[in-house]
Amino acid sequence: MGKRSLRKRIYKDRNLYLLFSPVLIFFIIWHFIPIWGARIAFQDVKYIGDNTWVGLKHFKILFSSPVFFRVFMNTITISAMKIFFFFPLPIILALLLNEVKSRGFQKGIQSVIYLPHFLSWVVIAGIFISLLASPDGAVNKLIHLVGIDPIPFMTSTTYIRWVFVGSEIWRSIGWDSILYIAAINNIPLQIYDAATVDGAGRFQQAMKITLPSILPTIITVFILNLGFFMNAGFDQVFNMMNDAVINYVDIIDTYVYRIGLGKGNFSLGTAAGLFKGFIGLFLILSTDRMSRKVTGEGVW
Amino acid sequence: MVVHGKRFSISQITILTSLLILAMITFYPIYNQLVISLTGKEYIAQADGATIIPHGFTLQTYRSVIAIPKVYRGLMNSLFITAVGTVVNVMLTSMGAYVLSKRDLAGRNFFMTMIIISMIFEGGLIPDYFLMKNMHLLDTYTSVIMYKAVNPYYLIILMRFFDKVPKSLIESARLDGCSEMKILFKIVIPVSIAGIATISLFYGVFHWNEYFRAMIYLTDEGKYPLQVVLRELIVSMEKASFIGSMNFLKMTTSSSIDIKAIKAALIILAIVPILIFYPFVLKYYVKGKLQGAVKE
Repeated sequence: MGKRSLRKRIYKDRNLYLLFSPVLIFFIIWHFIPIWGARIAFQDVKYIGDNTWVGLKHFKILFSSPVFFRVFMNTITISAMKIFFFFPLPIILALLLNEVKSRGFQKGIQSVIYLPHFLSWVVIAGIFISLLASPDGAVNKLIHLVGIDPIPFMTSTTYIRWVFVGSEIWRSIGWDSILYIAAINNIPLQIYDAATVDGAGRFQQAMKITLPSILPTIITVFILNLGFFMNAGFDQVFNMMNDAVINYVDIIDTYVYRIGLGKGNFSLGTAAGLFKGFIGLFLILSTDRMSRKVTGEGVW
Repeated sequence: MVVHGKRFSISQITILTSLLILAMITFYPIYNQLVISLTGKEYIAQADGATIIPHGFTLQTYRSVIAIPKVYRGLMNSLFITAVGTVVNVMLTSMGAYVLSKRDLAGRNFFMTMIIISMIFEGGLIPDYFLMKNMHLLDTYTSVIMYKAVNPYYLIILMRFFDKVPKSLIESARLDGCSEMKILFKIVIPVSIAGIATISLFYGVFHWNEYFRAMIYLTDEGKYPLQVVLRELIVSMEKASFIGSMNFLKMTTSSSIDIKAIKAALIILAIVPILIFYPFVLKYYVKGKLQGAVKE
């Protein structure tokens, strides 16, 4: 095809481009103008006159700030805790659900455990604040029965991160099992039949057939999780944090909000956001490469 | 009867029990809020996490909560923003997905690259805020409705649905002289109704649950959606806001109503629309999740 045909093709499809133009305009406005707007991380914002370029000044301030270091470490810690303690659970859940013979029971359980995924973090925070209230919440009443004194979970620096892990499990264990359940359903039944003939029990089948068969899915999801490692969960932290625990739970995203919009330090806030964005970008691109190597398929 | 003679073996029973316990742990905290919100005022003091049936059943708490001007306005704002926002999102996303599902379109790769970049990198909160400010959209419903009008993940999911529309159907319509707009709205969308339902639910749930952008873009409290009001009253416990609402209740209702019951009723109020649509959510949303192999 020559140049003439390209022009012809564009002309032929002119109505398609017309149809696409509003989408393109919105994409440029909502996604690309803010990327250009992020240049204020390299500028001093002036209320009168043009902003002045200051290079890496704000990044230097950021990296020498003990607060930012703490925020950075909190982000990594909370994210790592979530991956370590949460990641295996939906896999185990999918394996358990697969053992259920009654379709009705399976569907019933699934429709209940998917529900929390659709609730906002405002609502979930409300529920957990009530649930974990001290001394009146359900959990404290329960542990009182075995003689443990009430624990102020939401304001305890020891427990608050575990509250994050726990509420993440509560919200996502069901929903995140979906991909694994789908992968299990794709395993050909003949493999199981052959194993049954060979005398393998259900547990052995789960360990020797089901688990290895869904391993590619597990790896893909794990790699994706690594790609989004810097997202420690803004909405969760933002709605569950309070002054008593702020030093233990403040993550980069909440820092950007507090410093940037709250205190009006726009450049520093944007710099912190960009720093997180660059790490995220690096992680996603490298996990994509990892994924291509391990599973033969990219993340995209 | 059964070959191995152990239809309900010990391991089966253990698995079923642990799944039932998980379902209970998931459901109970929500149910508990429902119970508290329905408990009569003379019993509310004793109502706690262990109450299973509401004593002195009453809907009075809900009547009082709805009567708080803030809450009522919030509910209306949320319904408005969710309805309009979802329609706009779905229209734009359909247009985008339809055009991009033409594999041989010149420039398609460029557009797709743009979409993927938008998925992995963003300017961030503060540039977003300044964009709204510069477009004079702060404190308008438009800012909340139009914010990120097309979600790239949902666009890709919809493209996969549109890919399944028979090409012959589109070609014959084109030969009949139909415009692209007409093909999209008269053929492609009606044929892909499951896909449209899926992304409508995605966007609907997103708008209903959205609070953060509303919180930072809107300054007039009269425009706040329910989630922002909820956050003020039950999460951040902003004293002024809460005392205001409680005083309002004291003036308007003869009996005082427990704070605990009010919070519970607010939580349930925010969940009800999700519950109403939940059967559809289960039907479409789950498949949609599998269509978009990428994380939300």
